[in-house]
Amino acid sequence: MFAISCKGLVKEYKTQKLVRALDDITFDVAEGEIFGLLGPNGAGKTTLVKILATLLRPTQGSAEVGGHDIAKEEDMVRRVIGYAGQDSERSAYFRLTVRENLMYFSHALRDVPVKTAKERIESIVSAIGFEERLDKHFIALSGGEKQLVIVIRAIVHEPKVCFLDEPSRSLDPLTAKRVRGFLKSYASEKGMTICLTTHNMKEAEEICDRIAFINRGRLQFIGTPEEFKGVVTVKEVVEIANFEIDKVIEERLLAIQGVSNVTKSDGNIRIYCDDAFGVLKNVFDFLGDIGIKAHVSMIEPTLEDAFAVFVSNDSAEGK
Amino acid sequence: MASALKLFYMAIWRNFLILTRYKANFLFEILTSVLIGGFMLLLSAAFDTTMLGQMVGSTNYVAFMIFGISFQSWQGTALWSAADTFRSELSSGQIDYTFSSPFSRYWYIVSNIAANAVQSTIFFIPMFCVGLWFTSDTLTVTGISLGLMATMLSIAALSQFGAIFAALVLQYRQVTAIFGFFNLAFQFLTGMFIPLQLLPMPLQVLGWCLPITFGMDMLRHYVMGTIPLMPVEYEWLALLLQLLAMSVMAKFVVVWLERNAKEQGLHYI
Repeated sequence: MFAISCKGLVKEYKTQKLVRALDDITFDVAEGEIFGLLGPNGAGKTTLVKILATLLRPTQGSAEVGGHDIAKEEDMVRRVIGYAGQDSERSAYFRLTVRENLMYFSHALRDVPVKTAKERIESIVSAIGFEERLDKHFIALSGGEKQLVIVIRAIVHEPKVCFLDEPSRSLDPLTAKRVRGFLKSYASEKGMTICLTTHNMKEAEEICDRIAFINRGRLQFIGTPEEFKGVVTVKEVVEIANFEIDKVIEERLLAIQGVSNVTKSDGNIRIYCDDAFGVLKNVFDFLGDIGIKAHVSMIEPTLEDAFAVFVSNDSAEGK
Repeated sequence: MASALKLFYMAIWRNFLILTRYKANFLFEILTSVLIGGFMLLLSAAFDTTMLGQMVGSTNYVAFMIFGISFQSWQGTALWSAADTFRSELSSGQIDYTFSSPFSRYWYIVSNIAANAVQSTIFFIPMFCVGLWFTSDTLTVTGISLGLMATMLSIAALSQFGAIFAALVLQYRQVTAIFGFFNLAFQFLTGMFIPLQLLPMPLQVLGWCLPITFGMDMLRHYVMGTIPLMPVEYEWLALLLQLLAMSVMAKFVVVWLERNAKEQGLHYI
């Protein structure tokens, strides 16, 4: 039995015009697997997670979570899932402490006995190193700490399947790493399946057994992070640091022989090619022509590069 | 599955923790209740109560009003508190967690209303005590008990309207005007501030369809000794039937509206 199984899921929103947010999504997730949903903003990741968590109704198609049909057995699905959404800043009671919030949600809404809830809360927060915040009011926490509380809330009742919508958003890199480590070991210890959405390629690479890439509502790739990197037909990347380009420069860079793609990320330009040595000289010549001095280096392609190329190629096809 | 009882007592626990953390506000809510009672006391000399006596069998307009106002503190809770909870959860995003949890939506709403009603009792008690002080000559323990029982039953029936309002929030997001309309209509159609007998017959009939009418009428009858609108046995029966019918309707409407709301998503658009 799969922990999650989707068949031909379609979601259309009727606003002023019909918007197809998900288009024929089909995939399975094995029990105990950590599955990442990747894609740019507005790709349909959150819509998909909300449908699987019974918060939205699909327009077409079917899905099962924990062996239960999301449309016909909503209540059974809710018994086996945990959920952490993106709206974490205000989605707990401000004037209750972290402990009181977690007690309320786990005991009242998830039926965890008081004693068990207390023990689990203590155990989880000590594993994450969050003990000193336990008796602080929720309102007094930083954005990242609030996010952490929402993630703990999603797992404290030990669900079979947990949906985490951008769990490391607002977390500082060190806390994010600690939380990822904890989630991985917690899932493995409890046999919990995690389905998370993320923009963070490092996160996907670090904890996901498999990932699915969604763009404009369509599932474009499914496989391991390594396979995802391999799908992108680039072997090498030339990076120009701290360099802003406009459309004309981008087109001229693309016109250099051997360049298959050009993307912008954090003020850097990444040029994708099969032979970086061959391209490097032409890039230097081009920069010299336009009178720019910049730091140019050759780097190994990462998952982030695969992501950027995927989005860039799909946008080009869309046009 | 989380039980209605657990949802109820945990909601009380949550509400009281939150309430007592806004201490100044908490204090002033109680003071407001006392203040209204005090003003009523001062106004008591200003009314000609002859007509009231002819209609309802008591000239004690102050007590008549005070019981109406104290009833209002529960009416507001019954009608609006669950909708307010949903509105706040919708805007904070907490609704997603709540609605991915396994419990009956209907019982979640009703438990929250009941928990809020327990909280409202704190504000009801001072007002109610002032009302009792004005009616000391007609007061009996049985009278108070039966009056309160009728009030509870009436509030339970009214909570079903509250459940429907809460579910309307899921579908329409902003329903303050709908609530305001019904709240005002209920105040005037149920004899809260003026005797129902003063209204034209079609409006009186409309008033009989609302559970507050009989609850408040019986509270006044048992505590103040007023003449009931109809024999009290019929009023008890009418209240029970209203509770039953509205519970069935509320359960159906909550399921139906949640289902519809999930077409577009449970969030402010």
